[in-house]
Amino acid sequence: MVKIKIDNRSLEVKVGIPVIQAAAEAGVEIPSMCWREGKNHITSCMICLVKDAGSGRLFPSCSVAVSEGMEIISMDDEIREARKTALDLLLSEHVGDCTAPCQLTCPAHMNIPLMNRYLAKGDFENALKVVKKDIALPSVFGRICSAPCEGACYRKSVDEPVSICLLKRAAGDEYPEKEETFLPAIDTEKNKKVSIIGAGPAGLSAAWYLRLRGYEIDLIDRNAIPGGSMRLEVEKGILPAEILEKETDVIRKLGVKFSMNTEVNEELFAKIQKSSHAILICSGSGKSGMDKWGLPDRSADPKTFRLENSNIFIAGSALKPAKMAIKALGQGKEAAFSIDQFLQGKKVVGEYFMFNSRFGKLAAEELSEYMKESIDTGRLIPENISKGFSREEVIQEAARCMHCDCRDIDTCRLRIYSDLYKADQKRYHSEERRIIKKYFQHKELVYEPGKCIKCGICVDIAAEYKEELGMTFIGRGFDVEIGIPFTNDLQEGLKKAALLAAGACPTGALSEKNKDEQYES
Amino acid sequence: MSEDIHIVDEFIERLGSGKQSVIPILQSIQNHFNYLPQEALERVCEKTSITPARIISVASFYSQFRFKPAGEHIIKVCVGTACHVKGAEQVYDAFKREFQLNEDEDTSSSGKYTIEKVNCLGCCTLAPVVQIDQITYGHVHSGKIGDVLQDFEKLKDTKSGKRFRKASGEEIQGEIRIGLGSCCVASGSSEIRDAVKETIENKGLNVKLKHVGCVGMCHQVPLMEIVPLQGESILYSKVKAVDVEQIIQEHFQPAGFFNRIGNKMLNLMENVVDEGRWSGVERYSLDMREKHVSSFLGRQKPIATEFRGIINPVDINEYISREGFRALDICLGEKSPDSIIDEILKSGIRGRGGGGFPTGRKWKIVSEQRAEKKYIICNGDEGDPGAFMDRMLLESYPYRVIEGMIMAAYATGCHEGIFYIRAEYPLAVQRVQEALEICYEEGYLGKNIRGSSFDFELSVFKGAGAFVCGEETALIASIEGDRGFPHIRPPYPAVEGLWGYPTLVNNTETFAQIPFILRHGAGVFNAIGTEKSTGSKVFALAGKINRGGLIEVPMGISIREVIEEIGGGVAGGRKFKAVQIGGPSGGCIPASMADISIDYESLVEAGAMMGSGGMVVLDDTDCMVDIARYFLSFTQNESCGKCTFCRVGTKRMYEILIKITSGKGEEKDLEELEKLAEWTKKGSLCGLGKTAPNPVLSTLKFFRDEYEAHIRGVCPSGKCKEMIQYIITDDCIGCTLCVQDCPVDAIPFRPHEKHEINQELCIKCDGCRQVCPEDAIVTR
Repeated sequence: MVKIKIDNRSLEVKVGIPVIQAAAEAGVEIPSMCWREGKNHITSCMICLVKDAGSGRLFPSCSVAVSEGMEIISMDDEIREARKTALDLLLSEHVGDCTAPCQLTCPAHMNIPLMNRYLAKGDFENALKVVKKDIALPSVFGRICSAPCEGACYRKSVDEPVSICLLKRAAGDEYPEKEETFLPAIDTEKNKKVSIIGAGPAGLSAAWYLRLRGYEIDLIDRNAIPGGSMRLEVEKGILPAEILEKETDVIRKLGVKFSMNTEVNEELFAKIQKSSHAILICSGSGKSGMDKWGLPDRSADPKTFRLENSNIFIAGSALKPAKMAIKALGQGKEAAFSIDQFLQGKKVVGEYFMFNSRFGKLAAEELSEYMKESIDTGRLIPENISKGFSREEVIQEAARCMHCDCRDIDTCRLRIYSDLYKADQKRYHSEERRIIKKYFQHKELVYEPGKCIKCGICVDIAAEYKEELGMTFIGRGFDVEIGIPFTNDLQEGLKKAALLAAGACPTGALSEKNKDEQYES
Repeated sequence: MSEDIHIVDEFIERLGSGKQSVIPILQSIQNHFNYLPQEALERVCEKTSITPARIISVASFYSQFRFKPAGEHIIKVCVGTACHVKGAEQVYDAFKREFQLNEDEDTSSSGKYTIEKVNCLGCCTLAPVVQIDQITYGHVHSGKIGDVLQDFEKLKDTKSGKRFRKASGEEIQGEIRIGLGSCCVASGSSEIRDAVKETIENKGLNVKLKHVGCVGMCHQVPLMEIVPLQGESILYSKVKAVDVEQIIQEHFQPAGFFNRIGNKMLNLMENVVDEGRWSGVERYSLDMREKHVSSFLGRQKPIATEFRGIINPVDINEYISREGFRALDICLGEKSPDSIIDEILKSGIRGRGGGGFPTGRKWKIVSEQRAEKKYIICNGDEGDPGAFMDRMLLESYPYRVIEGMIMAAYATGCHEGIFYIRAEYPLAVQRVQEALEICYEEGYLGKNIRGSSFDFELSVFKGAGAFVCGEETALIASIEGDRGFPHIRPPYPAVEGLWGYPTLVNNTETFAQIPFILRHGAGVFNAIGTEKSTGSKVFALAGKINRGGLIEVPMGISIREVIEEIGGGVAGGRKFKAVQIGGPSGGCIPASMADISIDYESLVEAGAMMGSGGMVVLDDTDCMVDIARYFLSFTQNESCGKCTFCRVGTKRMYEILIKITSGKGEEKDLEELEKLAEWTKKGSLCGLGKTAPNPVLSTLKFFRDEYEAHIRGVCPSGKCKEMIQYIITDDCIGCTLCVQDCPVDAIPFRPHEKHEINQELCIKCDGCRQVCPEDAIVTR
């Protein structure tokens, strides 16, 4: 054993282990991507830099063994900046998107690619779960949504965008038959009441997500029928009244109290304020009574929707008039995050959006790479638009999706650390970038070299498992790549250790092809 | 091919089948096939324990190896620092144009020529230099490549073709310089010039007659300097016209003479000065009396280069007759290993490879290790693109380096040693190999050396082209048959090196200075130089200097003394702007700091570094931002690609510098560049990455105004192609030379009229400016 100090804490640790491991054993977590405990590694990523307290010099904690009397600083401003810079540099050559552009564009940030993949497999139930995670009214929005997602769809550059909106409708429409079997479980009752003024897209959405979190909800609206601005769509004949009714009914079934025909005046507002732990105002852009309620200032925080230092939240057109109903719906969901945080006594920050890598524009020659995960049929148009797609059509259309999101979006350490260290992908932006390649020959793996950080873990694993060809470094300097000797066929390179290599790959460069994607509630 | 494949088995048979044989096997395959055919590599994997992953990772790491067949002839355009500042890029572009090659092509469609950039051919004083197969062309410029190719075509089949030629195709034997400063002219130098011309013509010598401006030694005029291609140059003072013929005859032989000599052991460069010539030492001593005249030599302190130009490199008897192996005999006869190490410690000598670690301490650490085996390695992987000291030492003094190594081995208890020499230095490899053979025959290597009980085996390992392998841990990885990936120190090689055993790695020059120390004693050595930097250091002095070459100077000499006294000042009467010291790891020291002393500490303090000893002089036509860009283009290419800060950091710095030198820079780029340079320095693992930002940081520190000017859209030196225009001034006499030279017809043919350049067509190849006899073409 040797005595060392980490952040002034004295420790006794085993001889010969690297500093990063000694730190981990003492509960100090140091980030790293290229290091595997007890295995060969080449010291590559440099995000595990720590400081020698004596000399003030930074060194990679994965590659220096502990020695008697060593004193280490595991975190300070310089170390944080060093790690962030390493991540900035890695991101500058990271040619891969975390989230697909459609999802990023969707005001409700619905996980469109995942929905598509479920639909393509004919799994409508899971598809609906995915939709409802962000969109409380799938059938309604499958009809009235202006679908900005389709404008961002990469498939647009090949032929036409995937018919996302109609697919979402199909997921929603399929659902009602099974409605009894599907009402998400509600969190433990919080015994706190939230009053929501306005039963439009924002209010209904907020009601749904807050009720799911266990709050008592009173949804108040001056009209007889919920729906707010969506009722205009009914009048226009775009949205069948029964669809709106069905979906608001589901919300009612979840236990949301609907107080319809209730005009909120000054007196009622004061009463609501007394009886509620929080109030969400989403009464639309029309003449609401907000100024009469003693709320002349509508300037709630655009991220948290909270009116400064109060228990009042404002979302939807009541905050800032907007045409897109989907925007209001998204805000209702996001406000629910803030209200939940507020009522739990946490810091109110709103819905958290994780770091997201974006490489920019897709080049024409890269479309064929993306098409490798898709089918070559044109965009389907239903014979009768009001009826939407048949089940078969849904499956076919959903298969046109190109899987633009990253397979390892939840496990990628580059993303997790970039988020943690607030890395900036644009800092070292380069005019030139690598051309995206996707290799699918392997039965179990997908290889995307543009996401590789050249840590060499897969090379080592292949060698450990005595793969005949294995993986290898090719070239040097900035242009170094990981490839398979003598061939391009990954199947030949990784015959035994494929899944291990994918699991150990710190990013989405090597990923499992047919990973069982789990809907997470 | 398939019947030929069995040759691979022979290579394996000869070179072994372990992983350490991978580089030698690859070198043999490439020698045989002219590239690495996949079939041959697969054969290696089939027949040996070398895995496919290893063979590909190694073959693709080292720049020597090719996966595609090369053309019949290989054109190497030197882009070393000295060549770069004299327009090597334009020469390279001109060859690409000549063969109509696009971005990624390197071989002419006929398959006849392959063109490649090389980092340094070690002929910095002839810059820019192009080598086609074995023939070297000096002073090439973009307009001359047609002549070069034509000459090569004529010569390539005649085996006797001279290896050094002027761009016009004439064989170069050297240069005679005559001072034409006003004092010189007044004292009769024009008569001398005529006498030289007459002698050259009568004797059929291919010697270049060059007029130089005032050398500053006006009381010694007229001056005549004889500059052979390589080796010493000699300055004659107070020359009389009647002496000229005799002086020239002493130095140069008529054309054709060397064919008869045909001594394959000596390369032609040395033939030029070595054969039937002046009587070396005496001539020096004669000249040495005249303090100023002899300044080029007089200020030098030859230790590693002792007896320069006098001894035949591979003649062991000559070496012995000039005190060779005396130190070894002293050591083996009367000194204990510990007392040798003490002597080295006392001498104060520090690693000449650049880092400056005290050599004695390294030896002591190795000697203290208890291990069943220890190794000693001579680091001759000189990669600095503006330096060729190691090459010259290995080529000219192989026995001296061997002697140094034997004594180091004896002192530290090693019995096995390796010369690691760049493959780009075939002559050095050949000389050392020959010298080793002779040493074995003569009992200087092998068992019971010189009758003692000491055994020592020494062999050569050829590097395969990777600058990073100059870093000792990468060098060791390379010998072990791996990619040249450095690893973190500790463990230091002295404790855990080659194959896990204690390993002493010293630079070639360090070993070359050891015999002197052990022969004369530490006191004589440490009396030279400064307190912390003792002894002398070899530099390759090149760039915009009157007398470039290989020099060995006492530590502590000032930069100004080197440039003005030894180098004869800046060439062409231009203004001295800066000196780049230490190559890609070093920095630019401005003229205003020229009085600093050349020692390890002072150079580091000034933002440079001793490095391996490249010293490139820059004048007012050199753009400092371009210099920084040049070095970063080198390092980002030579980075092993392992660590984030170096792999991506050097690339991004390079991109920012491209942005700035192409006139697209913004204010914030400077700040970002500086920050990134600092982080790359702090966050890199090995010496390459840690020092790669130095050229950026030092130019930002001393020449920030030039960066700022670029941001404002002006390249003050008129160097950055994308920011300048070529313009013809009123000095134009309408001679049409430029018109004929222009490869894109951007200058209309109007004889006797002032020419004009069509800016839209101009590709800024610099050809016109080079050929203009009136200096009427300028950049703006």
